[in-house]
Amino acid sequence: MLTLTVNGQPHPVAVEPRRILLDVLRRDLGLTGTKEVCEMGNCGACTVLLDDEAVYSCLVLAVECEAQEIETVEGLARGQELTAVQEAFVACDALQCGFCTPGQILSMEGALRRRPDADEAALTEAVTGNLCRCGAYRNIVAAAGRVAATSSGGAG
Amino acid sequence: MTPFDYQRIPEAAAVPAQLTPTVRPLAGGTDLLTRLKACLDRPDALVDLKASDLGRAIDRVDGGWRLGALVTLSRIQHHPGLRADVPALAEAVSQAATPQLRNRATIAGNLLQRPRCWYFRNERVQCWLAGGEGCPARSGRNEHHAVFDTDGPCVATHPSDPAAALVALGATVTVLDGGGGERELAVADLLVPPTDERRVEHVLAADDVITAVTVPSAPRSTYLKAMDRAVWAFALVGVAAAVSADGEVRLVASGVANTPWRLAGAEAALAGPGLTPEAIDRAAAAATDGAAPLAENGYKLPLLRTLTHRALTAVA
Amino acid sequence: MDESDLPTWPPGTDLETVGTGVPRREAPAKVTGGAVYSSDLRLPGQLYAAIARSPHPHARVRSIDTERARRQPGVVSVIAGEEGGEGVTWYEESVPLFGPVARFAGDEVAAVAATSLEAARDAVRALNVDYEVLAHVVGIDEAQRPEAPSIHGTPGNRTTDPKVEERGDVAAALAAAPIRIEHTYRTPTAVHNALETHGAVAWWQPDRLTIWASTQGVTQVAQMTAEALGLDQSQVRVITEHVGGGFGAKQVPWKDVAIAALLSRRTGRPVQCAYDRHGENVAAGKRGATRQRVRIGADTDGRLLAIDAELVGDSGAYQTAGEAAALWGPYQGLYRCDNVRTSVTYVYTNTGPAVAFRAPGYVEAAFALESAMDELAHRLGVDPIELRRRNHTGVDQQQAKPWSSPDSLPLIYDRISALAGWDARPRNAPPAPGGDGGVRRGWGFAASDWLAGKANPPGYASVELRTDGSAEVVTTVQDIGTGTRTVLAQVAAEELQLPVEEVRVTLGDTAAGPPSPTSSGSATTPTMAPAVRAAAADARHQLVAAAARQLDCAPGDVTLDHGKLVAANSGSRTVAEVLEGLSPAAVHGWGELVAVDDSVSVRTFGAAVAEVSVDTGTGEVRVTRMVSVPDCGRVLNPTLVASQIIGGVTQGIGFALTESQLVDAELGLPVNDSLEEYLVPTVLDICPIEAVPLDRPDTGANQLGVKGIGEPPMIPVAPAIANAVFDAIGIRFHELPLTRRRVLDALAEAASPDESEPA
Repeated sequence: MLTLTVNGQPHPVAVEPRRILLDVLRRDLGLTGTKEVCEMGNCGACTVLLDDEAVYSCLVLAVECEAQEIETVEGLARGQELTAVQEAFVACDALQCGFCTPGQILSMEGALRRRPDADEAALTEAVTGNLCRCGAYRNIVAAAGRVAATSSGGAG
Repeated sequence: MTPFDYQRIPEAAAVPAQLTPTVRPLAGGTDLLTRLKACLDRPDALVDLKASDLGRAIDRVDGGWRLGALVTLSRIQHHPGLRADVPALAEAVSQAATPQLRNRATIAGNLLQRPRCWYFRNERVQCWLAGGEGCPARSGRNEHHAVFDTDGPCVATHPSDPAAALVALGATVTVLDGGGGERELAVADLLVPPTDERRVEHVLAADDVITAVTVPSAPRSTYLKAMDRAVWAFALVGVAAAVSADGEVRLVASGVANTPWRLAGAEAALAGPGLTPEAIDRAAAAATDGAAPLAENGYKLPLLRTLTHRALTAVA
Repeated sequence: MDESDLPTWPPGTDLETVGTGVPRREAPAKVTGGAVYSSDLRLPGQLYAAIARSPHPHARVRSIDTERARRQPGVVSVIAGEEGGEGVTWYEESVPLFGPVARFAGDEVAAVAATSLEAARDAVRALNVDYEVLAHVVGIDEAQRPEAPSIHGTPGNRTTDPKVEERGDVAAALAAAPIRIEHTYRTPTAVHNALETHGAVAWWQPDRLTIWASTQGVTQVAQMTAEALGLDQSQVRVITEHVGGGFGAKQVPWKDVAIAALLSRRTGRPVQCAYDRHGENVAAGKRGATRQRVRIGADTDGRLLAIDAELVGDSGAYQTAGEAAALWGPYQGLYRCDNVRTSVTYVYTNTGPAVAFRAPGYVEAAFALESAMDELAHRLGVDPIELRRRNHTGVDQQQAKPWSSPDSLPLIYDRISALAGWDARPRNAPPAPGGDGGVRRGWGFAASDWLAGKANPPGYASVELRTDGSAEVVTTVQDIGTGTRTVLAQVAAEELQLPVEEVRVTLGDTAAGPPSPTSSGSATTPTMAPAVRAAAADARHQLVAAAARQLDCAPGDVTLDHGKLVAANSGSRTVAEVLEGLSPAAVHGWGELVAVDDSVSVRTFGAAVAEVSVDTGTGEVRVTRMVSVPDCGRVLNPTLVASQIIGGVTQGIGFALTESQLVDAELGLPVNDSLEEYLVPTVLDICPIEAVPLDRPDTGANQLGVKGIGEPPMIPVAPAIANAVFDAIGIRFHELPLTRRRVLDALAEAASPDESEPA
């Protein structure tokens, strides 16, 4: 038995060692906001935060994550209150089909954990490992700019 | 992916003795897991090095830096000291993969990753490198393949960007073996073309573990990379140039051979001190000496000459 | 109410909601992980399916031993071979679901349902399939050769006889033309690679089949599945709440739906069958490669005298339903020309089947035609945009009727020229041949038309008013990520004078009403928005009539004014009061669009300007700026239209620069069948994009004046980029994509003049 801490909640799960974190999140824990697309670390849709760092959950074994903090898209908003990144994605229409969106958002959240005053370029760099096939990139860059404006404004 | 056991061994020094051809070390897993998923590797067990006290520190040492084997590419990328003192490494790391992969991938694991050749990685093809026969790339789709040393059994290129930079920098790895012995090995000697007896791109035995990478300082160094998109592709060609403490210029290319490829002809053409424009022209022209491109990858030659020229200009 | 009974909103009409950038309705759900896609479904007792695919490009399946697979832990059902397909046939060739012959590497031969995906995959590996390997052929040139293996027993591996259309006397006009341009152009196989793979969850209960599908057409999936499985349409319900991308590949049902359904029938449990990324790359549709031999003749002013285009496209191993790749389109229609001949041949190859991909045929043909037009402009020293003006036509020459918006293109030329600063663009000195001449910059232009973007009837919708003052729009049509929910809410809100937040939209479920169009041909908005407007207008008329009865006046004396019904002389009532007065009767509006005006030809035109930099030392082409001016009629929501434009431009950049499925001819295998090696653009590959729709209501299209925007913006992108690359380095490319390899090889060739020129 393994205990995964996801979005602050401990989840005991019984999984064999070969089970991938992404699959355990989606199937065993029902957290389907994290998307499965390529299974090979080639797209970024499965990005989650592992101890505040963005990683591809398709290239992580669930057993590796014992004692680590896992955060998924479901854990970001507080009730109806979106994070600055989520709010910016809505405001800038930085999504179309929405399938890459959770991964894009967590990549930016990860960059903000590293550097709360990350600028537009740093937040854009943070999503270089997230493909968007609908081609919403320019609006994603706009969202990065909006977040940067807010966060540096907040930092004074 | 076939089932396997998962093991944690707290003491790194105790890990090598546990390793066998089917009990393998797991570090960042960014390459290993893709191979497991493709059933290229079918280990019985994985030993999670991250659960051990294997090195994670970035330390200043005499004449350079010592990186614990588990140092991630991200930490190298964002380390001010490394960026200033060994820019070739920081630049190579920054252009490798993506932020998410760099957060996970370790410097030692990066050196030991397997080729991305699309035949080798294809479950439906059993090429020589995957334990079968023949090299379909030689007569097939080889636009991404080697242009040097192409008469061997395999024309896959080495996938690592940092490896080329580390060879140019004269870096070494510290290796711990299953008998408790420790040895120091130049990265240039760690990475070798695969042979019939040893179909991997390195010389390590099954019970060897890299514990550290030592990198001599070279503030005048750089790594340039050409990809078919702006980011997130393996190198078509990359060139690392480094001026060592004693003024020697080393040039190493990625994306052109089974291993990081020392551009000996170009180095020789520099002939003498001072990277003058003329010397750089000569070296760039000589960068492709000895090249034997395949049907689809002749374009790598002008690319290699250009990157060599630009890398030398950057460190001049 | 039929939408054609409603008045148009003439230009200048004061609209409150329509035309504003109302935020995408489902955005909050998509940024919080709350949006549920077909692939997210986890029903009680759900099984997971995995598919066995032929590793050979052409092989006869002698036998399949399923014993070992069946014994794997977790395996519940295995279906294999012709018998396993239970008589279900697939593709236009009506081959068995699991055929006795595999015609491409990836062709389905069996499937397994198990309690977990790993177990299902393990079982697929445990299947023992005995293949008799047959000779194969890939590549349209090779497949046409007489000695090529025959894939379906047709002459020259053609799917049908060539489709030839000719007007005038092309041969004579070409011979007499003082200026002639002739080249063979090639476009690559491109893969949609929607991030959500094709997939469905099917649950077969005794008297009905429910399918949660990742599809662009719930109605079509229901109809085709019912037909394939021998069910009544009323027994099949298809639900699609959100779709993780389609781009054409999900406009027809694929085998995931049938496999899930058959396995569900056998097991009595819900079964999820989703392709993996490999399957998505090899067996779920593609834009087939083309070869286009183009000859154009012009007079010395650049007026086109003749166009002759011999067009060949790769159909893959089978033909799929849905939109055809209309390769002939731009040649026949974009410019005025009295002598035009197009011949289109589709060829079978032992590769995955082709299917519509965002403006199918036009994207490919525009690269060739617009490259040739640019070459003509340069040959004559005429400005490329001026050359297009000289060749403008206001009529559909194939159908001999006027365009519904005959002056769109000239207006687009004016607009894009001004926006881009075209006339003030820097003019390059002719470049020295070869590299390393450092980085050079260039500008390019291309125009486009698109045969669709008009309504695809029928469209049906209902609008129900609630006593709390809200309205609910109900239609079966799906929202594939384009913003359909949002614009339909806006249209209803406008007609009912409600705040858009008070309009709820329920869609994506065949059980909710009559059939709806597939989201293809950029038809969803022009079909559904008018139907929704009619339904809302019908509801408004019922409301006014009820108010008139309650206020004891004539309906003509009552007007709706923002939640109030005001009678000229007898007071007013709120909407809620009127509805309460009606209770238990309700106001339920019905709207439809069942026919389109045939007297005009509805087209969606556009143009793009590209700025590029070309590094002659490394072959790197970077697009540094794109300007796109499409005509989609009235813009219902500028934010969502801009998103569609930047999406199309982004995919166009990928098509121009990096995307190409490469197949090993000897093995018959696609080698870059993953998102690692099939390179779609990343965020850093995309430049600033100025997306400026013309925004002119086209009332020939429908009473709203709205046309589609999903596909057209992609069409002119690749030729605009290729023309900009020519401007930068003086090399004309006749084949895409413009990878470093292609550019460096061309630069090397340009530097050694002894060698012969490419075809």
